[in-house]
Amino acid sequence: MNKFLVTASVSLALIALSSCTNKSVVRYGDATEVETTNINFGSTDLQKVASQMTDSLLLSPVVGTLTVNTRPILFVESIKNKTSEHIDTESITDSISTKLLRSGKFRFVDMGRVAAVREQLEFQQNSGMVDASKAMAFGQQVGAQYMLYGNLASIVKSNKDKSDVYYKFTLRLMDLKSGLIEWADETEIRKSKEKEFVSW
Amino acid sequence: MSFIKNPPLLLLLALSIFFISGCVNVPPVTSGIGSEQIYPGQKYSKHLQVDNKKLAGRLHISEIKSRKQNDLLQVNLSLTSTYKKSLQLQYQFQWFDQDGFVIEAGKSPWQPLELHGMQTTTVESLAPTPQVATFSLYVREVPEKFFKY
Repeated sequence: MNKFLVTASVSLALIALSSCTNKSVVRYGDATEVETTNINFGSTDLQKVASQMTDSLLLSPVVGTLTVNTRPILFVESIKNKTSEHIDTESITDSISTKLLRSGKFRFVDMGRVAAVREQLEFQQNSGMVDASKAMAFGQQVGAQYMLYGNLASIVKSNKDKSDVYYKFTLRLMDLKSGLIEWADETEIRKSKEKEFVSW
Repeated sequence: MSFIKNPPLLLLLALSIFFISGCVNVPPVTSGIGSEQIYPGQKYSKHLQVDNKKLAGRLHISEIKSRKQNDLLQVNLSLTSTYKKSLQLQYQFQWFDQDGFVIEAGKSPWQPLELHGMQTTTVESLAPTPQVATFSLYVREVPEKFFKY
């Protein structure tokens, strides 16, 4: 009897323990929520950088005077990734330029699509398939007046218990005619990971 | 019931019951404190809402200011901690036009904020478009613990 009870309790304990193992569950999450999966550059950092830079640019008095009766034309030069990670900086510039466009204050030209535009115009002009009176002509595009460019840098430090990363994102707006920098700002992000005791 | 007199066996049984009852996946608390829709210049204190009393005991909204800057509505939110330890928070602004329709639904990101013990800090946000007439905001903790034994 006693032997049976020992076996029963041991197996019960084993079942209980094994039921604690991970079970994968798929869920749709909130894409705008703060995400703390690990210390690497994540969606929250991208959203924070994009919204802070856009807010700062749109709030600056210089931009206030630049946009009084006109919507200046911008082009985004790439953001240089100087961090030790692989980060899609085009995604950051996409977010920033989308937000700036939606504010109604600026217009953009897209340098990343020049080849496609040229191909389309050549088709309209030279293929003989498009009505010549309705074909888009070469040499009528509007040039950008300002250039938006920046850097993303990081400092990473760690010891056996803690790791810490500091990101600094700098963005500048240059007047292409005069070469003057009309506006500049930077934003910082600090993230750290520490070992913590698990409390029962 | 011979096993009652057997201490090791009793311990084993207690342990197995403990494990069965212990391991549960606890959904994190995601409620917080916030405000209803506020018009610029309106007195904010009547429009605050508390959904999480525990957080409200540690944190309160000390000021909400707003103004138009470059045609866009700019909002300053001051948060004061009444708790001695650091709080890991996230806040979100939502924007509405003059008819009360939400602007850019689901696109306003939750921004992370660490508030040290007893600290007061001011965060700011800017309306995404000039059509914004009212705003609301919400503050909650960044959920950390998912499992409890």
